[in-house]
Amino acid sequence: MGRSFDEEAKFIEQKGVVEYVIRQGFVPNMRVPAHFYVNDKLKHLVFEELQQFCARGDVGGFLPAVKQLCNVAGLPGIVEKSIALPDMHSGYGFAIGNVAAFDMDDPEAVVSPGGVGFDINCGVRLLRTNLTEADVDSKKEELAQALFDHIPVGVGSQGIIPTTAKDLEDALEMGMDWSLREGYAWAEDKEHCEEYGRLLSADPTKVSQRAKKRGLSQMGTLGAGNHYAEIQVVDEIFDKHAARKMGIDRIGQVCLMIHSGSRGLGHQVATDALTQMESAMARDNIATNDRQLACARILSREGQDYLAAMAAAANYAFVNRQSMTFLARQAFAKVFGRSPDDLDMHVVYDVSHNIAKVEEHMVEGKLKRLLVHRKGATRAFPPHHPLIPVDYQLTGQPVLIGGTMGTCSYVLTGTERGMAETFGSTCHGAGRAQSRNKSRNKLGYEQVLEALKTRGIAIRVASPKLVMEEAPESYKDVTAVVDTCHQAGISRKCVKLRPIGVVKG
Amino acid sequence: MSGGLPQRATGQRRRRRIEEDTAVAQPSSHSTPSAAAEATDHLQGQSASFAPDLSLVEHRHAAENGANYEYLDHPADVQLHAWGSTLEVAFEGAALAMYNYMTPLSGLTPDTGLARTFHAEAHDLHSLLFGFLDELLFVFSTELLVCCSLTVTHLDREKWTITAEGQGEKFDRQRHAIGTEIKAITYSAMQIREVPGDAEVFVIVDI
Repeated sequence: MGRSFDEEAKFIEQKGVVEYVIRQGFVPNMRVPAHFYVNDKLKHLVFEELQQFCARGDVGGFLPAVKQLCNVAGLPGIVEKSIALPDMHSGYGFAIGNVAAFDMDDPEAVVSPGGVGFDINCGVRLLRTNLTEADVDSKKEELAQALFDHIPVGVGSQGIIPTTAKDLEDALEMGMDWSLREGYAWAEDKEHCEEYGRLLSADPTKVSQRAKKRGLSQMGTLGAGNHYAEIQVVDEIFDKHAARKMGIDRIGQVCLMIHSGSRGLGHQVATDALTQMESAMARDNIATNDRQLACARILSREGQDYLAAMAAAANYAFVNRQSMTFLARQAFAKVFGRSPDDLDMHVVYDVSHNIAKVEEHMVEGKLKRLLVHRKGATRAFPPHHPLIPVDYQLTGQPVLIGGTMGTCSYVLTGTERGMAETFGSTCHGAGRAQSRNKSRNKLGYEQVLEALKTRGIAIRVASPKLVMEEAPESYKDVTAVVDTCHQAGISRKCVKLRPIGVVKG
Repeated sequence: MSGGLPQRATGQRRRRRIEEDTAVAQPSSHSTPSAAAEATDHLQGQSASFAPDLSLVEHRHAAENGANYEYLDHPADVQLHAWGSTLEVAFEGAALAMYNYMTPLSGLTPDTGLARTFHAEAHDLHSLLFGFLDELLFVFSTELLVCCSLTVTHLDREKWTITAEGQGEKFDRQRHAIGTEIKAITYSAMQIREVPGDAEVFVIVDI
């Protein structure tokens, strides 16, 4: 604290057209530098956060993303650099949009629940259909209503898929294999999910009763905040070949995007871990710059327990998105009087943007096993990577970028350059630009709904208050975000989608 | 939103004594809670303990209806800021601030049958606040209980335990306004400040 904005800004240097480096010394104890990617349109948002922080002084306030990024650069075992993607903004502990990798062979290296976030395996799933905008146009309102009726949304909503305590245990262990066994999934659904919809390292016994209690009633619920289910149409195809591989072959084709996570179960797993790790840190003499960065050595009992519980929570999130896929398929079938199969409602892909995973990466010419934390960042593996499905071996992994209510969303593909520069990661969404308070004070409820209506978007929302907070004006321009990643070469644009119906909490 | 609060002379800082102000417990069940709070305020306005920053909204200026809490700007999440004459009162404010974000407390009628004792344990003051709010959130998530009044009856600074009595209603999506879901409590930028006669807490919750 105490440095002026100008003094702080001297630590930040522009390295490429859209890449910036923050030198060590920006915060104490940095082990590696930090890198972030923004283009000229997004740059000011990053610096404004810092400026505000310098002005606020030491009472109240919050840490700007650039500071958080550098606090992460101070964690034991971090490799090469702490990275932030263009949708970066201040979060808790790690910044949102932050990627950091830790060396599995370094006994000091840590895992941090703050690097995963409270919403473990929050992610995005895209379903395609063989419908076109013309088929849906007259039934748009009916379809949005059907989705709203089928999928429980908003605060205090309870799942409608019957789940017993035993079911929950199985779901935590098996992920989408549970959904498949219970008849909520098609066999091919899991082929198109990160990790095939199941993290094998999951251990349900490491998930507290408290977390299970929170998770039991919420299975198959969307949640609130920025979570949504959106009926979208293909607006632009940038890469015909890759899009065709995904079953997307024409402008106007209707898709469905679901953005949700592990609900109360994941939130509680993260909270429990945070509390447990605090004592482990004192024991192992680990010091961090921020208490929210609580962490434990990967090989310690606390570290291992968290990774096993996190994997179980991730499985819960896969099942949750799958349960909603099941419900959405029913809703479509009802409205169009055709079976989901007949509507070709296949999963294009399912990505996780809040997770930590053990992966192999090249570091200074050597193959290393790393624990890669992605918080508000998406894995984006290049063509031919062994961990991506057969269907996408030639195109690279599909990356799903959920835009903001009423703007647009993107499908990108992973690249070799991303593999080399950002541990195979790219952005995850638009990223907030404006605080929730400001959105509520500046924008009116009717105003936002009217704007959506004039753009021909059917909307069903449980809480009007959210409409303002989640208005497009509150977010960064998602197009500027994906363009920055495209320009940096860490992912390629493939398809642009535009919403015609939104369902949210 | 809050709108019509009068401008404060520079260097003056808002201080609220709230033990007698029941408006805190039931923000809008009183006809003019805001005016009452204003009156107490003017009597007890004190000089600043630190210089206000003119480029930003002064702390304690965004509270509504005489409540002892407000919501501060944060890009993604919400920062709760609560204050009071004692730490207990500030903790109560933080708890109500959290509930009020899930559903406006003005829409609740306390059900005496649902009176509830909350208990949390920790190892220092920050973890006590974290644990306390986490317990309330857990009870909400599993039993849907939203409290519109809450009293911290016991706060032990040696054993780091806290006990509170809360009263409220079971959240019903048909009857109550649906606010935002709070995912979790965070330690991020958590601050607890105490001077004789005044205490305040800052907590960022993840939404």
